Amino acid sequence: MGKKSYTRWLFVLPAIIIVIALFIYPICSSVVYSFTNKNLIKPAYKFIGFKNYVEVLKDSGFWLSFFHSLKWTVLSLIGQIVVGFTAALALKRIKVCKGVYKTLLIIPWAFPSIVIAFSWKWILNGVYGFLPNVLVKLGLCQTAPQFLTSGTMAFITLVMINIWFDAPMIMVNVLSALETVPRDQYEAAQIDGAKPWQSFYYVTVPHIKMVVGLLVVLRTVWIFNNFDLIYLITGGGPAGTTQTIPLYAYNMGWSTKLIGRSSAVTVLLFLFLMVICGIYFAVINKWEKEESK
Amino acid sequence: MKKRYTSLILAAAVSAAALAGCGGSGTEAPASSKTAESGTAGQADAGELSGEITFWHSFTQGPRLETIQKAADKFMAENPDVKITIETFSWNDFYTKWTTGLASGNVPDMSTALPAQVAEMINADALTPINDLIDDIGRDRFAETAIAEGSMDDNNYSVPLYRHAHVMWIRKDLLEQNGLEVPKTWDELYETAKTLTKDGMYGLSFPCGTNDFQATFFLDFYVRSGGKSLLTDDLKADLTSDLAIEGIKYWVKVYNDCSPKDSINFDVLDQATLYYQGKTAFDFNSGFQISGVAANSPDLLQYVDCYPIPKIDPGSETQGIMTTNTPMVVWKASKHPEICKAFMKTLYDEETYVEFLHATPVGMLPAIKGIADTDAYKNDETIKQFAHAEEVLTEAADIGTAFGYEHGPNVQAGIMQNNHVIEEMFQDIITNGTDVETAAKAAEDKLNALFETAQ
Repeated sequence: MGKKSYTRWLFVLPAIIIVIALFIYPICSSVVYSFTNKNLIKPAYKFIGFKNYVEVLKDSGFWLSFFHSLKWTVLSLIGQIVVGFTAALALKRIKVCKGVYKTLLIIPWAFPSIVIAFSWKWILNGVYGFLPNVLVKLGLCQTAPQFLTSGTMAFITLVMINIWFDAPMIMVNVLSALETVPRDQYEAAQIDGAKPWQSFYYVTVPHIKMVVGLLVVLRTVWIFNNFDLIYLITGGGPAGTTQTIPLYAYNMGWSTKLIGRSSAVTVLLFLFLMVICGIYFAVINKWEKEESK
Repeated sequence: MKKRYTSLILAAAVSAAALAGCGGSGTEAPASSKTAESGTAGQADAGELSGEITFWHSFTQGPRLETIQKAADKFMAENPDVKITIETFSWNDFYTKWTTGLASGNVPDMSTALPAQVAEMINADALTPINDLIDDIGRDRFAETAIAEGSMDDNNYSVPLYRHAHVMWIRKDLLEQNGLEVPKTWDELYETAKTLTKDGMYGLSFPCGTNDFQATFFLDFYVRSGGKSLLTDDLKADLTSDLAIEGIKYWVKVYNDCSPKDSINFDVLDQATLYYQGKTAFDFNSGFQISGVAANSPDLLQYVDCYPIPKIDPGSETQGIMTTNTPMVVWKASKHPEICKAFMKTLYDEETYVEFLHATPVGMLPAIKGIADTDAYKNDETIKQFAHAEEVLTEAADIGTAFGYEHGPNVQAGIMQNNHVIEEMFQDIITNGTDVETAAKAAEDKLNALFETAQ
């Protein structure tokens, strides 16, 4: 019995080591550093209490970045779910070449974000970019639109790119969930005289809401933490109009080298996401209980 | 109940994933605590050297990369017990790489660097002195100012490999077609650039992307051409002097009237690419413009030339502006500084050195005296074709200093250059319409606060 127990631990040991090395240790070091004046290139540092937190919370740049992060997350999430859901419903109805359409629609998600970022940067470049020049040549615009450099357009352009990039992931998951809905329930609804929207609301939605709920939780965390796409396309500019909390934390840590303060930002981000996830999971648990009744 | 616990654990896990990505590496390894074996360049005979070294450099372009690799291969062939591993990064990536590397103890044995970063490296106690290497190569063969840029407390921490200077690049054909003269003052440059901004051409692009430090350089050109500095004598940021305010207004005017609007997010490559492709009439850069145009638009090469950076007052004295003595350094954490120094010394062997300079002719000017006069160096078609450009670049390099080093080597120059505060200031003025004086004061305060953290 004792031997069996050791063997069990031996099998999970690699996973435990990886979790400790890649998750627990960085988290703990972040929390510790957040209470110090640690500078990236200076070996010595000292405990300074909550000073980093106070400085961060006093900084208007933090709150502006936080607001941008919220806007970025909500708009991207809604857009991705609407587009992904619609594409999944459309794909479910398609009978011919379904696999081809599915493959074509999933292409954006299959590319690394650096490829996506540089491709869009090139397509939207105001000097030699394809799209602005086409719009001018078609007479739709007098001058090349500043998709990525105008204070008003850059943010919404990034959101659109993010929706285009990640909607296929929602689509695939929702489509898989849709495939599990028993056909006979639709037939029963039809016999009872249900209209299409009623079939959707009373048959489809209850079956897929758990999947969508979990997707929303995961996507919220991923989108909120998204760094690469924004950093590579606009770098947070122009004038900070696309700077979100992860970029703010990055600049604080790697540009100004204030690792202590940067860690305080990430701890605050951690706490915020914990609260958001707690709320989401409370809702999902409620659904589960309702279903099990 | 069980489900609730599971949910909470899952919630914690997904949130933790966010935090983990932002965490410091934490493997604290103070550079100062590491043992640096002493070694004297040339002390050990070539055959006695043994060990492995890592060399980080930023010569990412083909010919330079190949020349350095060839030199390393030759060195390894002559020293069979030595292994040199070369890793390359762009100049921008290099800064992130060494700063994060220093925190995690992952720095190379030797590397190239940007001059303004050397002071930061010295301040972080990350480098080992190489006075002996400089003496071995011949101290008097280097320009005194170039050695001084990497020196502190009688110790020399860097040795210049090559040098270049920032000058004004022009398109001769466009000026001729429009009956225009080469501008000598900033006002003339603005008027000329404005005239040439037509039919899809831009007179002069003003780059202020926050992923680079181009706007900082451009403002520095203006201020230093007037004999002033972006740093005060006691090394505080000075963006609110009359000349700095005038310079900021000048570049905002250029952005509005002569530059593509996308240049608000341009880095050095975006900026240079426009000139390479013949989309801009003027640019400020080093002799690397020649190889860029040759690679992108060889037909335009005959129309490319350079002139000194404009002045504010045409009758004023010519000021030294920006010279870059691209240095090499040996890291204190290196276990084999003697190999680093011996290898570095071989890079200055005339044959190797000339071959290296010829990898980007005119782009890289010799850092040691006498080379430019040799037949081997002169025997290059590009150097012959761009004799005027080389003359202008050499004159500029002779009187200039590294960015922010007009007061001598200092950490503040590196901070000002690498934190993109000036780029943010320009973006704020252009995008939000913030008043120039207000934005300049905010940027100045931010920089001075950053300087404090470096003390």
